[in-house]
Formats: sequence, structure tokens, C-alpha cells
Amino acid sequence: MADSRPRDRRGARRSGRYPARAAAKAVSDSGREKNSGRSTLVKQRSTVFPDLDNDTPRVVLKRIIRTQPQVSPLAPQISKHEETEEAGSELPSKRVSSTVEMQLPDLVPENTSITTFCMTKKRKKLSISEFERAADKRLPQNQAQSMLDSTALARSLRMSLGSLIPPDTVEQRGLLRRPKNRKAIDMEAFEGGVEQNMLKRKAQNYLVDSQTASGIQTAMLTSDAEIMLSNTELFVQPEFDEQSKNKLSALEPQLSDSKTSAQRSKISDAAQEEARLVGLVSTVGTNEGRTQRYSEDLILDHKHVDRMTRVSPKPPANQQEDKQDHSQQSNPMEQLSVSEEVVAGTAEHHANAGYSEHLEKKPTEKAESQITAAQDARVETEMAPSEEEGIAAGSVGHQGSREAEREIAKGVGGGSLGRHSHAFASSEKSGMKPLKEAVEQADELEDQAIMVELDGLEEEPIDDEAEDPESEEVSMKTPAFVRAAAYRPLLSPPRPAKPAAPKSPLQPLRAKPVPKSSGASRRKTREPEVASSLIKKIFSHYVKMPVARDAFKIVEKCSERYFRQLSSDLEAYSSHAGRKTVEMADLEVLMRRQGLVTDKMPLHVLIERYLPLEYRKLLIPVAVSGNKVIPCK
Amino acid sequence: MADSQHSNATQDSRERLKAAVHYTVGCLCQDVAEDKDVQFSKQTIAAISEITFRQCENFAKDLEMFARHAKRSTVTTEDVKLLARRSNSLLKYITQKSEELASSNMEQKEKKKKKSSAAKGGRTSGEQEVAVTESEDSNMA
Repeated sequence: MADSRPRDRRGARRSGRYPARAAAKAVSDSGREKNSGRSTLVKQRSTVFPDLDNDTPRVVLKRIIRTQPQVSPLAPQISKHEETEEAGSELPSKRVSSTVEMQLPDLVPENTSITTFCMTKKRKKLSISEFERAADKRLPQNQAQSMLDSTALARSLRMSLGSLIPPDTVEQRGLLRRPKNRKAIDMEAFEGGVEQNMLKRKAQNYLVDSQTASGIQTAMLTSDAEIMLSNTELFVQPEFDEQSKNKLSALEPQLSDSKTSAQRSKISDAAQEEARLVGLVSTVGTNEGRTQRYSEDLILDHKHVDRMTRVSPKPPANQQEDKQDHSQQSNPMEQLSVSEEVVAGTAEHHANAGYSEHLEKKPTEKAESQITAAQDARVETEMAPSEEEGIAAGSVGHQGSREAEREIAKGVGGGSLGRHSHAFASSEKSGMKPLKEAVEQADELEDQAIMVELDGLEEEPIDDEAEDPESEEVSMKTPAFVRAAAYRPLLSPPRPAKPAAPKSPLQPLRAKPVPKSSGASRRKTREPEVASSLIKKIFSHYVKMPVARDAFKIVEKCSERYFRQLSSDLEAYSSHAGRKTVEMADLEVLMRRQGLVTDKMPLHVLIERYLPLEYRKLLIPVAVSGNKVIPCK
Repeated sequence: MADSQHSNATQDSRERLKAAVHYTVGCLCQDVAEDKDVQFSKQTIAAISEITFRQCENFAKDLEMFARHAKRSTVTTEDVKLLARRSNSLLKYITQKSEELASSNMEQKEKKKKKSSAAKGGRTSGEQEVAVTESEDSNMA
């Protein structure tokens, strides 16, 4: 400390460093400092201002340490020093003498003297005074931050480091970090966005599928799709708009294509198509993938279009256009659209439901009142298929509804349908039926959507294809018959009056379709299927690769066969044990047969390994205290 | 030691059984080769015999499991039919054979009854025979 005074007198800046060093380090450094002080004395003049570009950080720091007033851990004195710094350096000597410990006063006058010195030199660089002022600004901040810090050097360092920033702001804005204006992540918004994205994707898939499948898929909303889609506004008006739009869009291209060729379609073509349809029906009957159905639908659409062009007096184009536009209210047009849609949706009963819904939509535009009297209309439609336009689709639609009814009632075979279709074909020529029929059918279809069987629908187009229009009675018989079977319990009294008349002539014919339908219906009986979307999801999850659509079909087939075999095995095992219910023992036998359960791998180990805890608790009885076994048996 | 001996014994019997199977398979393959004019290599025969042996083990385990599933201690033709369900043609064949066996058994039983009845003598036996045959017919039908 004593050494510092002479140095102060000399006004060497290095003394400023010395006190700091003395405070922080051992006296041994002093020797070094002296030497360095001399050198720094020379350098001081040249490097008074922080030359950030050329100097190394070490040099800059040294300078800062030298120049910055040493902050003492004692708060009041520090403030004093700050004030003194600001005040000026008129009485450096006094300051020096005031506090032996505090070296700041030494520095302050030194700085000011240096400042003056520098100013006299008129350096254009940043003046120390500015630097100091900026540093002073920082001082209160830094001091506020760390009043408890013991080492003065650390404090000075902090100050110096803090003071580094102002020069940056003054000189180089680029180095300064821009204020972070990050928005706090809004979890709700994020999740909402994700959900929207997922919904959009689902919707896209939905739309794509529907379009490719001629809108069949729209009806076939899988559970998850339904869940996803039910929330979006896109699908307000339960899938009606969507489906109808999709169907229309899907059908339009088909219709346009069919239009060109339809005009020249002949019975032979129809027959061929019918044959094709039969083949398709059989394949469909085996519950193949949608794509097949779509192809069938396409074929059906073509056939229908052909028929329409052939039979209907109105140009199919108009009908189609009308249908598409939803503007044309002509019965044939709507019927056509309805029928076409029905045809398209024949492959799946869901589609029928969708179509029926779609059909309903259209008719609603025209004759809402008629819908209310759906039953009556149905009767009418059935009674007078001939009245309807010659739109095959219309007839098909009717047939579809009839089919649904039939199937619902007794699963009448397709053969009867053929006859009905014939009748309808003939009826097409007879006249136009108001939309009510279509509406009625739509209603019926909708009501019976679940029960509608795929085969029945397919048969309808085939039947429509059939050229020979049978007597209306024949066609009538199906509806009458079906209705009698299906709607008696359901339909209201007003209806029976109308069907009564046509029923009588048809009744004798009922015998024929019944046996046929029973045989055929069984084949067409729609067995419960595993949702294809579920299979797709699980399969793609485990395969971790993109999968082609055909592959999905095959997988669907395989899984269906597997489950069929599985269930038949279980039935055999349970009957082998003289039981009528499948029990766990049967399943254990099955798993042993499959090779999943072996002598080395008991069933319980598999349960523990693969099933979630809830199921495990259910399956494996656990004994707990108190003579209690869970699950209690 | 007893265990090892026992295991040795089982091993020996196992080996002998395997050898027997191998021999039988070889004979069958020879017949087939003569029939179809095809050659069978030794490895093929060895493979077939090994497969047959392992499959027989599986069958035995499954049969025992089926019998236990039906709460029986005897393996019957029912169990065998259940085993053969995997292959439709095999199932048909086995069912056919089992029916034939059953009928032959019935015939044997009838003969025995006749003999016994004849030994006893009397119309009653004839009546019984008639009744038995009638019942058998119904069974066979």
C-alpha cells in the first residue's frame, strides 16, 4: 500500500492496477507489476481507449481493471466513490488520503487526469469519460446484483464486464443480442393446431378415398374417422354434404365416361356387364377390399348409365348434369342420381346408407312432405316401378331399397332381384315417378342401411342390366313382399292400403324368390368385418414402411381368414368338451396348438408379457390377504 | 444315477424309435421312387424321418391335451379327428376311416353277440340279433 502512493504521485496508471492486484493477489505480484507498470505506462498513452478490434480480450480486461475504480465491499463507501468519480478529480490527493483501503479515489483522479490528457490529445476514439459514464451507469446495476461479493477484483471485473456492453451498443449493434421477443408457447393453441392438422389429414384421406371409391367410403366412416370428423365444421350436417359432394364428384367422371359409351350400349353389353357384376358380386360377397367394390361400382355405374341412356327418354347427360348440379328436379334425373349413387354404393351397405342419405338430401329439396309420408311413397314406388323413369339407377335404387327390405326380412336372393330389376326396367319406360319414390327409398335405405346387404345391392344393378323387363307385377312383388315382411311391423297403417292391391297379385309369386333369396341371401349376408382402417393402422404401425393399397387388401383377406379359422377351431374345441360356450380352456388349447404356449412358455407368462395390467388382473387370479382372490371366481 | 439311467433308457428307446421311423420312411420312399420313377437322396429321407418324428411328438402332446380338455384320460378317435382338422382332406379321410372302423367294430360285436347268443341258444338270441342288426343299421345310416 505504501508503494502505491509514490506511484500515485507519479500519476502512473499502473498504480491503479497495483491496488487491484494487491487486493486480489499476493505481494509477489508487485514486482511483476512494477515492470509491467512501466511498460504499461508507455502503452497507456497509446492504448487508452478500448481498441476492441485489435486488442485481445485479455488486454481489454487489463485495461478495464486498470481504469475501473475499485469497488469496495462496503456499500456506503462505494456510493461515495461513485459520487466522487462523477464529481471530478480536483482533489485526488485528498481522496487518496481519505481512505487507505479504497483505491477507487486513486483511480478516479487518475482516470480523470487521463481523460483530460486524452482529451487534450483530441483522440477521436471513444473517450474514457464516455466509457466511464457508461460504466458508471452499469455500476449501480452491478452493485445491486452483487453487494455481497467479497473480492474487489471480482467486483471490478464484473463491472468491467458489464461496462463492456455499452461500447458495443455504441459501436456495434450487431454484437448485441436483440431482445428476445419469444412468445410463450401456448399449449392450447399448439394442440389445437395439431388437432386441426390431423383432422385435415383425415378429411383429405376421407375425401381422397371417397373420390377414388366413388364416394363409397364416405359412408363407411370408420370409428376413428367418425370421431375425427365429427368435430370439424367441414362435416356439419352429418356427412350429408360431404358425402353427397364426394359422391357427386366421384360419380361425375364415371357418368361422363359412361355417357359417351352409354348411348350405344346394347342389351348384350348389359348382359356382359351383368355377368361381370355377378362375378364381382361373388367376389364382393367374399368381403374383399373396397377397391374391388369401387371397380364394381364403376362398372355398375356404367351399366346404369347405359341403361339410362337406353331406356330413359331423357338424355342421361341432362340427368347427370341435373343430378350433379342438384338443381334439376326432374324425377328421372334425381332417380338416376339416386340410382347411380345407390349403384356406386352397392358394394357396401354403409355406402348405401350414405347414398340413401344422399338420396334423401336430394329429395328433401323437392318433396320434403313426401318424405314424411315415406312409407306411402315407398309403397307407391314399389307399386309402380314402371312409373319411375327408365333410369336404371333409379330402379337400382329402388331395388336397393327393396333389397334392403328383402334382406332384412328374409334375405331374399338375388334371383328375385333380377326379376324385379326387369320389372323396373320396364317400369322405367312407363313413366316418371316423383322423387318421392326415390326419397322413400332413400328413407328406407337409410332406415335399413345397416341391414342392407351388399349382395342385394349388387344384384340390383345386375338385374337392372337385364334387359327383359318383366311384368310390373314381378317387380312389384319384391317390394310388396319385402315390405310386407319388413315394414309390417314398422310401417304405419296408412301405408297398407296402397300395397294391398298390388300385393295380392304378387303374393303367389313370393314363393319363388323366397327359396332363391334364402340361398343367395345367405351368401350375401354381410358378416361382421373388422374395420379395415383398424387393420391398416395396426399393420402399418408394425411394418414401419409405406404399404400399398393392394397389400392392405391382401392383409385384410388374410386376417379375415385367420379369424375365421380361429373361430371355427374354438367352436370345435368347445364342442369337443361338450360345452356351448367358449371358455378360457378352449383358448389355451388353441394357443397350445398354435405353438404360442409350450411346455416352456406357460400361458400366464404370455399374459404378463403382452397384456396390459388391467387384463392381467382380470385373467390371473391373485390371492390377497383376508382370504380374498381377485378376480373372485 | 437312476435318473441318468432312466434318461439313458429313454434316450435309447428314443433312438430306437427314431431308427424305426427312419427305416419305415426309407421303405416308403423307395416304393414311391419306384412308382414315380424319382430318386430320393439320403438327406431327404433323413429329413423326412426327422420331421415325422417331431410331428409325432407334437401330435402326441396335442392328443393328450385334447383328451384332458374333454376331461378324459383316454385318447379317442374324437381327439384324433380334432387333431386332423387342420387339413380338410386329411379330416375327411380320417373320418371316413373312423367310420369304417366303427362299422367293422360293430360287425365284430355283432358276430360276438351272435356267437354268444348262439351259445346260449334260443329265439331270444335271434330276436336280439334282429334288434341288434336293426339298431346297427340305424347307426350305420
